[in-house]
Amino acid sequence: MRPFIAQISRDLDIAWQNRQDVVVMLGFFIIIIALFPLAIGPKSAMLQSLGIPMIWIAALLSSLNGFDRLFAQDVRDGWLDQISLSALGLGWYAVAKAVSHWLTASLPLLLITPILALMLNIATTKLPALMTALLVGTMALTLLGIIGAALAEGARRSSALIAILVLPLAVPVLIFGALAAATDDGIISPHLMLLGAMLALLLAMAPLVAATALKIGETESGI
Amino acid sequence: MTPDRNTQPSAPASGTAVPCLEIDALTVLRGQRLVIDRLTHRQNRGELCILTGANGAGKSTLLRSIAERLPAESGHIKCHLPRVYIGHADGLAGAISGRKNLQSWAAVNDIMVTGADIEQALAGFDAARFADMPVQLLSRGQRRRLALARLLLAPAPSLWLLDEPNTGLDQDSQTRLETAIAAHLLAGGAVMAATHIEMARSAATIHLAIGL
Repeated sequence: MRPFIAQISRDLDIAWQNRQDVVVMLGFFIIIIALFPLAIGPKSAMLQSLGIPMIWIAALLSSLNGFDRLFAQDVRDGWLDQISLSALGLGWYAVAKAVSHWLTASLPLLLITPILALMLNIATTKLPALMTALLVGTMALTLLGIIGAALAEGARRSSALIAILVLPLAVPVLIFGALAAATDDGIISPHLMLLGAMLALLLAMAPLVAATALKIGETESGI
Repeated sequence: MTPDRNTQPSAPASGTAVPCLEIDALTVLRGQRLVIDRLTHRQNRGELCILTGANGAGKSTLLRSIAERLPAESGHIKCHLPRVYIGHADGLAGAISGRKNLQSWAAVNDIMVTGADIEQALAGFDAARFADMPVQLLSRGQRRRLALARLLLAPAPSLWLLDEPNTGLDQDSQTRLETAIAAHLLAGGAVMAATHIEMARSAATIHLAIGL
Protein backbone atom coordinates (compact mmCIF):
# COMPACT_ATOMS: atom_id res chain seq x y z
CA MET A 1 0.00 0.00 0.00
CA ARG A 2 2.85 2.38 0.83
CA PRO A 3 4.41 2.28 -2.67
CA PHE A 4 0.96 2.93 -4.18
CA ILE A 5 0.31 5.98 -1.97
CA ALA A 6 3.87 7.19 -2.64
CA GLN A 7 3.34 7.10 -6.42
CA ILE A 8 0.10 9.08 -6.11
CA SER A 9 1.62 11.67 -3.82
CA ARG A 10 4.61 12.02 -6.14
CA ASP A 11 2.27 12.70 -9.08
CA LEU A 12 0.22 15.16 -7.05
CA ASP A 13 3.44 16.94 -6.05
CA ILE A 14 4.45 17.24 -9.70
CA ALA A 15 0.94 18.35 -10.69
CA TRP A 16 1.02 21.03 -8.00
CA GLN A 17 4.27 22.37 -9.44
CA ASN A 18 2.60 22.44 -12.89
CA ARG A 19 -0.76 23.70 -11.64
CA GLN A 20 -1.18 26.11 -14.53
CA ASP A 21 -1.97 23.03 -16.66
CA VAL A 22 -5.14 22.45 -14.61
CA VAL A 23 -6.19 26.07 -15.08
CA VAL A 24 -5.70 25.78 -18.86
CA MET A 25 -7.75 22.58 -18.96
CA LEU A 26 -10.55 24.14 -16.90
CA GLY A 27 -10.53 27.17 -19.18
CA PHE A 28 -10.89 24.87 -22.19
CA PHE A 29 -13.87 23.13 -20.57
CA ILE A 30 -15.59 26.42 -19.70
CA ILE A 31 -15.03 27.90 -23.16
CA ILE A 32 -16.46 24.86 -24.97
CA ILE A 33 -19.59 25.08 -22.83
CA ALA A 34 -19.84 28.85 -23.20
CA LEU A 35 -19.61 28.59 -27.00
CA PHE A 36 -22.67 26.35 -27.36
CA PRO A 37 -25.27 28.91 -26.22
CA LEU A 38 -23.66 31.48 -28.51
CA ALA A 39 -24.11 29.17 -31.50
CA ILE A 40 -27.58 27.94 -30.57
CA GLY A 41 -29.04 31.27 -29.59
CA PRO A 42 -30.91 32.35 -26.48
CA LYS A 43 -33.75 29.82 -26.70
CA SER A 44 -33.87 28.52 -23.15
CA ALA A 45 -35.99 25.44 -23.94
CA MET A 46 -33.41 24.21 -26.44
CA LEU A 47 -30.54 24.91 -24.07
CA GLN A 48 -32.29 22.94 -21.39
CA SER A 49 -32.53 19.84 -23.56
CA LEU A 50 -29.02 20.19 -24.98
CA GLY A 51 -27.31 21.22 -21.74
CA ILE A 52 -26.53 17.78 -20.36
CA PRO A 53 -25.12 16.30 -23.59
CA MET A 54 -23.00 19.44 -23.97
CA ILE A 55 -21.50 19.02 -20.53
CA TRP A 56 -20.72 15.38 -21.33
CA ILE A 57 -19.02 16.18 -24.62
CA ALA A 58 -17.03 18.99 -23.07
CA ALA A 59 -15.96 16.71 -20.19
CA LEU A 60 -14.96 13.99 -22.66
CA LEU A 61 -12.87 16.35 -24.80
CA SER A 62 -11.17 18.08 -21.90
CA SER A 63 -10.38 14.84 -20.10
CA LEU A 64 -8.45 13.69 -23.19
CA ASN A 65 -6.08 16.53 -22.48
CA GLY A 66 -2.96 15.46 -20.68
CA PHE A 67 -3.08 11.77 -21.50
CA ASP A 68 -0.27 12.22 -24.02
CA ARG A 69 2.01 13.35 -21.18
CA LEU A 70 0.75 10.82 -18.64
CA PHE A 71 3.38 8.14 -19.26
CA ALA A 72 5.59 10.02 -21.73
CA GLN A 73 7.09 12.21 -19.02
CA ASP A 74 7.93 9.23 -16.80
CA VAL A 75 9.45 7.36 -19.75
CA ARG A 76 11.62 10.33 -20.71
CA ASP A 77 12.76 10.91 -17.13
CA GLY A 78 13.61 7.24 -16.71
CA TRP A 79 11.09 6.86 -13.88
CA LEU A 80 9.42 3.94 -15.66
CA ASP A 81 12.77 2.06 -15.59
CA GLN A 82 12.78 2.54 -11.84
CA ILE A 83 9.15 1.42 -11.53
CA SER A 84 9.61 -1.84 -13.44
CA LEU A 85 12.13 -2.99 -10.81
CA SER A 86 10.22 -1.53 -7.87
CA ALA A 87 7.94 -3.07 -5.28
CA LEU A 88 5.04 -1.19 -6.89
CA GLY A 89 5.01 -2.97 -10.25
CA LEU A 90 3.60 -1.68 -13.52
CA GLY A 91 -0.04 -2.69 -12.87
CA TRP A 92 -0.39 -0.79 -9.62
CA TYR A 93 1.64 2.01 -11.13
CA ALA A 94 -1.01 2.34 -13.87
CA VAL A 95 -3.79 2.42 -11.25
CA ALA A 96 -1.90 5.08 -9.27
CA LYS A 97 -1.51 7.14 -12.45
CA ALA A 98 -5.26 6.85 -13.08
CA VAL A 99 -6.09 8.00 -9.56
CA SER A 100 -3.78 11.00 -9.67
CA HIS A 101 -4.92 11.93 -13.17
CA TRP A 102 -8.56 11.76 -12.10
CA LEU A 103 -7.84 13.91 -9.02
CA THR A 104 -5.99 16.57 -11.00
CA ALA A 105 -7.94 16.58 -14.28
CA SER A 106 -11.49 15.33 -13.64
CA LEU A 107 -12.21 16.46 -10.10
CA PRO A 108 -11.80 20.18 -10.94
CA LEU A 109 -14.25 19.69 -13.85
CA LEU A 110 -16.76 18.08 -11.51
CA LEU A 111 -16.44 20.89 -9.00
CA ILE A 112 -17.13 23.57 -11.58
CA THR A 113 -19.98 21.71 -13.31
CA PRO A 114 -22.84 22.98 -11.04
CA ILE A 115 -22.00 26.57 -12.00
CA LEU A 116 -21.92 25.71 -15.71
CA ALA A 117 -25.21 23.83 -15.33
CA LEU A 118 -26.78 27.02 -14.01
CA MET A 119 -25.41 28.87 -17.04
CA LEU A 120 -27.06 26.31 -19.34
CA ASN A 121 -30.37 26.61 -17.51
CA ILE A 122 -30.36 22.99 -16.32
CA ALA A 123 -32.94 22.50 -13.55
CA THR A 124 -31.29 22.20 -10.14
CA THR A 125 -33.40 19.11 -9.42
CA LYS A 126 -31.42 17.35 -12.16
CA LEU A 127 -28.07 18.21 -10.65
CA PRO A 128 -27.70 15.22 -8.27
CA ALA A 129 -28.26 12.71 -11.08
CA LEU A 130 -25.94 14.65 -13.42
CA MET A 131 -23.15 14.86 -10.84
CA THR A 132 -23.39 11.18 -9.89
CA ALA A 133 -23.29 10.12 -13.53
CA LEU A 134 -20.34 12.43 -14.20
CA LEU A 135 -18.50 11.07 -11.16
CA VAL A 136 -18.75 7.47 -12.39
CA GLY A 137 -18.36 8.42 -16.05
CA THR A 138 -15.17 10.47 -15.63
CA MET A 139 -13.59 7.59 -13.69
CA ALA A 140 -14.39 5.23 -16.57
CA LEU A 141 -13.04 7.74 -19.09
CA THR A 142 -9.81 8.10 -17.10
CA LEU A 143 -9.28 4.33 -17.17
CA LEU A 144 -9.91 4.29 -20.94
CA GLY A 145 -7.41 7.10 -21.27
CA ILE A 146 -4.82 5.09 -19.34
CA ILE A 147 -5.17 2.27 -21.89
CA GLY A 148 -4.89 4.68 -24.81
CA ALA A 149 -1.91 6.49 -23.30
CA ALA A 150 -0.02 3.24 -22.62
CA LEU A 151 -0.71 1.90 -26.13
CA ALA A 152 0.28 5.16 -27.82
CA GLU A 153 3.38 5.62 -25.68
CA GLY A 154 6.42 6.30 -27.82
CA ALA A 155 4.40 7.10 -30.94
CA ARG A 156 4.80 10.41 -32.72
CA ARG A 157 1.80 12.75 -32.38
CA SER A 158 0.53 10.56 -29.58
CA SER A 159 -2.26 12.96 -28.55
CA ALA A 160 -4.08 12.49 -31.87
CA LEU A 161 -3.51 8.74 -31.70
CA ILE A 162 -4.90 8.58 -28.16
CA ALA A 163 -8.03 10.47 -29.27
CA ILE A 164 -8.56 8.00 -32.13
CA LEU A 165 -8.05 5.03 -29.79
CA VAL A 166 -10.11 6.29 -26.88
CA LEU A 167 -13.05 8.21 -28.36
CA PRO A 168 -14.73 5.21 -30.06
CA LEU A 169 -14.38 3.20 -26.84
CA ALA A 170 -15.88 6.11 -24.92
CA VAL A 171 -19.14 5.94 -26.88
CA PRO A 172 -20.93 3.58 -24.43
CA VAL A 173 -19.82 5.73 -21.50
CA LEU A 174 -21.16 8.79 -23.29
CA ILE A 175 -24.50 7.16 -24.17
CA PHE A 176 -25.27 5.76 -20.73
CA GLY A 177 -23.73 8.71 -18.96
CA ALA A 178 -25.94 11.19 -20.77
CA LEU A 179 -29.01 8.98 -20.23
CA ALA A 180 -28.26 8.54 -16.53
CA ALA A 181 -27.81 12.28 -16.14
CA ALA A 182 -31.00 13.21 -17.97
CA THR A 183 -33.22 10.61 -16.35
CA ASP A 184 -36.22 11.38 -14.16
CA ASP A 185 -36.01 8.05 -12.27
CA GLY A 186 -33.96 9.52 -9.45
CA ILE A 187 -30.21 9.20 -8.98
CA ILE A 188 -29.83 5.41 -9.15
CA SER A 189 -31.21 4.69 -12.59
CA PRO A 190 -30.60 1.54 -14.66
CA HIS A 191 -28.36 3.65 -16.90
CA LEU A 192 -26.19 4.58 -13.96
CA MET A 193 -25.92 0.92 -12.99
CA LEU A 194 -24.72 0.05 -16.49
CA LEU A 195 -22.24 2.90 -16.27
CA GLY A 196 -21.04 1.47 -12.96
CA ALA A 197 -20.68 -1.97 -14.55
CA MET A 198 -18.48 -0.44 -17.25
CA LEU A 199 -16.37 1.22 -14.58
CA ALA A 200 -15.96 -2.10 -12.75
CA LEU A 201 -14.94 -3.87 -15.96
CA LEU A 202 -12.43 -1.15 -16.85
CA LEU A 203 -11.03 -1.16 -13.32
CA ALA A 204 -10.18 -4.82 -13.74
CA MET A 205 -8.91 -4.57 -17.33
CA ALA A 206 -7.22 -1.21 -17.74
CA PRO A 207 -4.29 -1.81 -15.34
CA LEU A 208 -3.50 -5.16 -17.00
CA VAL A 209 -3.66 -3.76 -20.52
CA ALA A 210 -1.68 -0.64 -19.61
CA ALA A 211 1.00 -2.62 -17.74
CA THR A 212 1.41 -5.05 -20.65
CA ALA A 213 1.63 -2.22 -23.17
CA LEU A 214 4.23 -0.40 -21.07
CA LYS A 215 6.25 -3.57 -20.61
CA ILE A 216 6.45 -4.69 -24.22
CA GLY A 217 6.64 -1.21 -25.71
CA GLU A 218 10.23 -0.69 -26.79
CA THR A 219 10.65 2.37 -24.65
CA GLU A 220 13.84 4.24 -25.17
CA SER A 221 14.12 6.54 -22.23
CA GLY A 222 16.80 9.14 -22.40
CA ILE A 223 18.26 7.85 -25.64
CA MET B 1 31.70 -13.20 -26.68
CA THR B 2 33.74 -15.08 -24.13
CA PRO B 3 34.22 -13.46 -20.78
CA ASP B 4 37.81 -12.42 -20.41
CA ARG B 5 38.74 -12.82 -16.78
CA ASN B 6 41.70 -10.57 -16.14
CA THR B 7 41.83 -11.45 -12.52
CA GLN B 8 40.45 -14.48 -10.83
CA PRO B 9 37.48 -13.35 -8.76
CA SER B 10 38.31 -13.66 -5.12
CA ALA B 11 35.62 -15.08 -2.92
CA PRO B 12 33.55 -12.59 -0.94
CA ALA B 13 34.08 -12.16 2.76
CA SER B 14 31.66 -14.96 3.57
CA GLY B 15 33.92 -17.61 2.07
CA THR B 16 32.43 -19.53 -0.86
CA ALA B 17 31.43 -17.83 -4.09
CA VAL B 18 27.71 -17.06 -4.10
CA PRO B 19 26.21 -16.61 -7.56
CA CYS B 20 23.92 -13.59 -7.75
CA LEU B 21 23.37 -13.31 -11.49
CA GLU B 22 22.96 -16.19 -13.92
CA ILE B 23 22.41 -15.48 -17.59
CA ASP B 24 21.81 -18.46 -19.88
CA ALA B 25 21.96 -18.23 -23.68
CA LEU B 26 20.39 -14.80 -23.69
CA THR B 27 19.35 -13.50 -27.10
CA VAL B 28 17.95 -10.00 -27.50
CA LEU B 29 16.68 -8.34 -30.66
CA ARG B 30 16.41 -4.62 -31.19
CA GLY B 31 13.78 -4.19 -33.90
CA GLN B 32 14.99 -6.69 -36.51
CA ARG B 33 18.62 -6.47 -35.47
CA LEU B 34 20.28 -9.19 -33.42
CA VAL B 35 22.14 -7.40 -30.65
CA ILE B 36 22.94 -10.07 -28.09
CA ASP B 37 23.48 -13.61 -29.34
CA ARG B 38 23.36 -16.49 -26.83
CA LEU B 39 25.23 -14.74 -24.08
CA THR B 40 26.01 -16.79 -20.99
CA HIS B 41 27.38 -15.15 -17.91
CA ARG B 42 27.77 -15.94 -14.23
CA GLN B 43 28.49 -13.39 -11.59
CA ASN B 44 29.14 -13.90 -7.90
CA ARG B 45 28.54 -11.57 -5.03
CA GLY B 46 31.46 -9.28 -4.39
CA GLU B 47 32.33 -9.10 -8.09
CA LEU B 48 32.51 -6.12 -10.39
CA CYS B 49 31.73 -6.82 -14.03
CA ILE B 50 32.81 -4.21 -16.55
CA LEU B 51 31.11 -4.45 -19.93
CA THR B 52 33.43 -3.58 -22.77
CA GLY B 53 32.57 -3.05 -26.39
CA ALA B 54 32.21 -0.38 -29.05
CA ASN B 55 29.31 2.06 -29.20
CA GLY B 56 26.20 0.19 -30.22
CA ALA B 57 27.67 -3.18 -29.28
CA GLY B 58 24.79 -3.88 -26.90
CA LYS B 59 26.06 -2.91 -23.46
CA SER B 60 22.96 -0.83 -22.66
CA THR B 61 20.76 -3.51 -24.20
CA LEU B 62 22.18 -6.13 -21.85
CA LEU B 63 21.73 -3.88 -18.82
CA ARG B 64 18.18 -3.01 -19.83
CA SER B 65 17.35 -6.70 -20.30
CA ILE B 66 18.59 -7.49 -16.80
CA ALA B 67 16.58 -4.50 -15.53
CA GLU B 68 13.45 -5.99 -17.15
CA ARG B 69 13.04 -3.13 -19.58
CA LEU B 70 13.64 -5.21 -22.72
CA PRO B 71 12.01 -8.57 -23.35
CA ALA B 72 14.46 -11.32 -24.28
CA GLU B 73 13.94 -13.28 -27.49
CA SER B 74 15.18 -16.44 -25.79
CA GLY B 75 17.29 -17.46 -22.84
CA HIS B 76 16.98 -16.82 -19.12
CA ILE B 77 18.12 -14.22 -16.67
CA LYS B 78 18.08 -15.21 -13.03
CA CYS B 79 18.96 -12.65 -10.43
CA HIS B 80 19.13 -13.49 -6.74
CA LEU B 81 19.59 -9.98 -5.41
CA PRO B 82 17.43 -6.84 -5.58
CA ARG B 83 18.45 -4.83 -8.64
CA VAL B 84 19.12 -1.12 -8.83
CA TYR B 85 19.35 0.32 -12.33
CA ILE B 86 20.97 3.63 -13.22
CA GLY B 87 20.33 4.13 -16.92
CA HIS B 88 21.00 6.97 -19.34
CA ALA B 89 18.01 8.82 -17.93
CA ASP B 90 18.37 9.77 -14.30
CA GLY B 91 14.85 8.77 -13.20
CA LEU B 92 14.25 12.14 -11.58
CA ALA B 93 11.17 14.33 -12.04
CA GLY B 94 12.22 17.84 -12.99
CA ALA B 95 9.42 19.66 -11.21
CA ILE B 96 10.21 18.45 -7.69
CA SER B 97 13.34 18.58 -5.55
CA GLY B 98 16.06 15.95 -5.45
CA ARG B 99 15.22 15.14 -1.86
CA LYS B 100 11.56 14.47 -2.74
CA ASN B 101 12.69 12.36 -5.70
CA LEU B 102 14.82 10.20 -3.42
CA GLN B 103 12.03 9.88 -0.85
CA SER B 104 9.48 8.78 -3.44
CA TRP B 105 11.96 6.32 -4.94
CA ALA B 106 12.51 4.73 -1.55
CA ALA B 107 8.76 4.64 -0.91
CA VAL B 108 7.80 2.96 -4.21
CA ASN B 109 10.46 0.36 -3.47
CA ASP B 110 9.01 -0.06 0.00
CA ILE B 111 12.35 0.78 1.60
CA MET B 112 11.93 2.31 5.04
CA VAL B 113 14.18 5.35 5.20
CA THR B 114 14.53 8.04 7.80
CA GLY B 115 15.53 11.63 7.15
CA ALA B 116 19.03 10.72 8.32
CA ASP B 117 19.30 7.95 5.70
CA ILE B 118 18.45 10.43 2.96
CA GLU B 119 21.00 12.91 4.33
CA GLN B 120 23.63 10.19 4.38
CA ALA B 121 22.89 9.14 0.80
CA LEU B 122 23.02 12.77 -0.34
CA ALA B 123 26.28 13.31 1.55
CA GLY B 124 27.76 10.24 -0.18
CA PHE B 125 27.72 12.16 -3.45
CA ASP B 126 28.02 15.62 -1.87
CA ALA B 127 24.53 16.48 -3.14
CA ALA B 128 22.98 17.98 0.01
CA ARG B 129 23.73 21.53 -1.13
CA PHE B 130 21.35 21.39 -4.11
CA ALA B 131 18.93 18.71 -2.91
CA ASP B 132 16.12 21.18 -2.24
CA MET B 133 16.14 22.82 -5.66
CA PRO B 134 13.80 21.62 -8.42
CA VAL B 135 15.78 19.09 -10.43
CA GLN B 136 15.10 20.91 -13.71
CA LEU B 137 17.34 23.77 -12.51
CA LEU B 138 20.31 21.49 -11.91
CA SER B 139 23.23 20.69 -14.20
CA ARG B 140 23.77 17.31 -15.86
CA GLY B 141 26.37 16.27 -13.33
CA GLN B 142 24.32 17.38 -10.34
CA ARG B 143 21.35 15.31 -11.54
CA ARG B 144 23.65 12.36 -12.00
CA ARG B 145 24.83 12.67 -8.43
CA LEU B 146 21.23 12.65 -7.16
CA ALA B 147 20.51 9.57 -9.30
CA LEU B 148 23.59 7.83 -7.91
CA ALA B 149 22.54 8.69 -4.35
CA ARG B 150 19.77 6.10 -4.87
CA LEU B 151 22.47 3.42 -4.79
CA LEU B 152 23.20 4.32 -1.18
CA LEU B 153 19.51 4.05 -0.25
CA ALA B 154 19.08 0.63 -1.85
CA PRO B 155 18.84 -2.48 0.28
CA ALA B 156 22.17 -4.24 0.84
CA PRO B 157 23.29 -6.52 -0.65
CA SER B 158 22.01 -5.70 -4.12
CA LEU B 159 23.09 -5.84 -7.75
CA TRP B 160 23.86 -2.43 -9.21
CA LEU B 161 23.34 -2.08 -12.96
CA LEU B 162 25.19 1.04 -14.03
CA ASP B 163 24.97 2.37 -17.58
CA GLU B 164 27.69 4.96 -18.14
CA PRO B 165 27.47 6.02 -14.50
CA ASN B 166 30.18 8.65 -14.72
CA THR B 167 28.71 10.74 -17.55
CA GLY B 168 28.92 14.37 -16.52
CA LEU B 169 30.56 13.68 -13.19
CA ASP B 170 33.44 15.81 -11.95
CA GLN B 171 36.67 14.27 -10.65
CA ASP B 172 35.58 14.39 -7.01
CA SER B 173 32.26 12.65 -7.75
CA GLN B 174 34.00 9.95 -9.79
CA THR B 175 36.19 9.21 -6.78
CA ARG B 176 33.07 9.07 -4.61
CA LEU B 177 31.47 6.62 -7.04
CA GLU B 178 34.54 4.39 -6.97
CA THR B 179 34.53 4.51 -3.17
CA ALA B 180 30.84 3.60 -3.08
CA ILE B 181 31.38 0.68 -5.50
CA ALA B 182 34.33 -0.63 -3.50
CA ALA B 183 32.35 -0.49 -0.24
CA HIS B 184 29.36 -2.13 -1.92
CA LEU B 185 31.46 -5.04 -3.23
CA LEU B 186 33.07 -5.51 0.14
CA ALA B 187 29.62 -5.74 1.76
CA GLY B 188 28.69 -8.63 -0.53
CA GLY B 189 26.95 -6.69 -3.29
CA ALA B 190 27.67 -6.96 -7.01
CA VAL B 191 28.04 -4.41 -9.79
CA MET B 192 27.68 -4.62 -13.54
CA ALA B 193 28.77 -1.43 -15.24
CA ALA B 194 29.07 -0.24 -18.82
CA THR B 195 31.69 2.44 -18.83
CA HIS B 196 34.38 3.75 -21.14
CA ILE B 197 36.22 5.31 -18.26
CA GLU B 198 38.68 3.23 -16.29
CA MET B 199 37.57 2.66 -12.75
CA ALA B 200 40.08 1.76 -10.08
CA ARG B 201 40.58 -1.99 -10.30
CA SER B 202 39.31 -3.82 -7.30
CA ALA B 203 40.26 -7.38 -6.44
CA ALA B 204 37.43 -9.11 -8.30
CA THR B 205 36.92 -7.55 -11.69
CA ILE B 206 35.51 -9.43 -14.66
CA HIS B 207 35.64 -7.97 -18.13
CA LEU B 208 32.82 -9.06 -20.34
CA ALA B 209 33.24 -8.21 -24.01
CA ILE B 210 29.96 -7.43 -25.70
CA GLY B 211 29.49 -7.39 -29.46
CA LEU B 212 28.92 -9.76 -32.32
